[in-house]
Amino acid sequence: MIIPIKGRIDSTNAAQVEQELQAQIAGQTDLVLDAQALDYISSAGLRVILRIRKEHPELRIVGVNSDVYEILDMTGFTEMMPVEKAYRVVSVDGAEEIGRGANGTIYRIDKDNVVKVYNNPEALADIQHEREVAKLALILGIPTAISYDVVKVGDSYGSVFELLNARSFAKILAREPEKLDWCVEEFVKMLKLIHSTEVPAGKLPDMRETALGWAKYMKDYLPEEAGEKLAALVAAIPHDDHMLHGDYHTKNLELQNDEVLLIDMDTLAVGHPIFELASMYNSFIGFSELDHDIILKFQGFDWQLATTFWRKSLAAYLGTNCPTKLREVEDKARILGYTRLIRRAIRRKGLETETGRAEIAHWKSELLELLDKTDTLLFDKNELKIEAVPENLEELLAFLGERLEATDCAPKARMQLEVAVEEIFVNIASYAYSPEIGKATVRVEVSDDPLCVTITFIDHGVPYDPLAKEDPDVTLSAEERGIGGLGIFMTKQLMDDVVYEYKDGKNILRIKKSI
Amino acid sequence: MLNITKTIEDGRGTLSLEGRLDTMTAPELEQVVRDTIPGLTALTLDFAKLDYISSAGLRVLLSAQKQMNKQGSMKLTNVNETVLEIFEVTGFVDILTIA
Repeated sequence: MIIPIKGRIDSTNAAQVEQELQAQIAGQTDLVLDAQALDYISSAGLRVILRIRKEHPELRIVGVNSDVYEILDMTGFTEMMPVEKAYRVVSVDGAEEIGRGANGTIYRIDKDNVVKVYNNPEALADIQHEREVAKLALILGIPTAISYDVVKVGDSYGSVFELLNARSFAKILAREPEKLDWCVEEFVKMLKLIHSTEVPAGKLPDMRETALGWAKYMKDYLPEEAGEKLAALVAAIPHDDHMLHGDYHTKNLELQNDEVLLIDMDTLAVGHPIFELASMYNSFIGFSELDHDIILKFQGFDWQLATTFWRKSLAAYLGTNCPTKLREVEDKARILGYTRLIRRAIRRKGLETETGRAEIAHWKSELLELLDKTDTLLFDKNELKIEAVPENLEELLAFLGERLEATDCAPKARMQLEVAVEEIFVNIASYAYSPEIGKATVRVEVSDDPLCVTITFIDHGVPYDPLAKEDPDVTLSAEERGIGGLGIFMTKQLMDDVVYEYKDGKNILRIKKSI
Repeated sequence: MLNITKTIEDGRGTLSLEGRLDTMTAPELEQVVRDTIPGLTALTLDFAKLDYISSAGLRVLLSAQKQMNKQGSMKLTNVNETVLEIFEVTGFVDILTIA
């Protein structure tokens, strides 16, 4: 219950004020004194408050002006009980909405300032939290804006930021779709900066812990086996001290003059990047999978642009256009993404509406299908797991080319690496699983100084050591020569080192070449 | 990707190859060679625009060479340095005629 106190409270009227207050608060709980109209309080008035507080230990005083706040501060009241200062009142009627996040909405209130209005009316703790994490991020090298004032907006609180002449990436994309590639590049540059930032232990929440909570929640809504698998997949993600934004999408990236700024920092956390990709997938795709209008309302651009932006961003982030690799990582992101969407929808009473039930059913069926075929949520951008069939050779070689792109690999060395990869891959395709079809994992590592490429092939097929075979006699005439054994022989000749081992049911062949 | 351009004149044939001669494209060359070779006394393979060759390509060259040894001659022209190195390490320099 909120009770206003006003004017002056001193020895002349303290008794009367106390009587009136006692009459109002009898039997009430959650007592708040609203001091907006209070001009002065003397020690007699303070004693009244002390007596009320005895019966109502939860008592808070809010809306305190700076003169009264000084009195309360000097007398130790601000330490003894919750006292909230009066906040400047700001209206967002007719203000342009420039961002919307998990916990609040951002409006532009004038040319130079924006206010983030929190959904939760008891937002002061949230505001304090966001201010602290934004400061932390800034110190760690992330360009962001830090709020300089807390204001009252209607029944909620807001924090005010200076944001001069800034436009969100969502707005740039909506108005100038020809800037798509530039937006992707900047968006991914910031994402990589965030993910390469190490955060001192204990400063930010651990996304893994949060996700373990989601998985636990989901156990009641999934078949037992699927629920357990989900929990095991999340549990197997190692702890990671690198920063995650937690709600990374195009409304939370601003272009201020020529500078790109990250905003809406309250979801900052630490963890494996798959958590970030999951939330990004939801922002651009997951939320709008059944109703494509949602993305238009949310970001101001349409489903098609959202899909393109997501695919291009993922490709740039992973440094590959390889469809198999992109699908692999996207599928892993979708597992966590759907988990989050389903939980969110159920908590928002989605099971009680027809649309809600349709969405939950859709996400759940996708999730179950993905869980069935996934054995880890981790990914390695230098590794490609692909069906060992000759038709996939082109994709594999393109993947190799992308990994070599950043190096000074001469065309000749590159071709020799390609020949070796082709010979080994075709070998696996022909023999490892025949007549069935299986997968091969190919890992490309480039190390500097001296520049050296190591490529590892792993398959689960029949044990087979291609190096055990005798080399063909290359001195024979055309008539005498057979057609077998050339591929592996060439590989041995063209590479500096070729090693085979059979371990834990896997054929592992490793080739190495200095370039 | 492999593009093959074919010209035949008075029993002398030329196949100009452009692109990559690998596992996926070698069967195309094999088919063209099979269709072209009957009646030829000389076969020239122009490698000016060939960037890549793997063992699948070598096998097609070997069988073409064997066939042409019986009915005439075969030579390769304009072989670039990277492809030439493949012929060297596999001993193909000794069984092919590289002009």
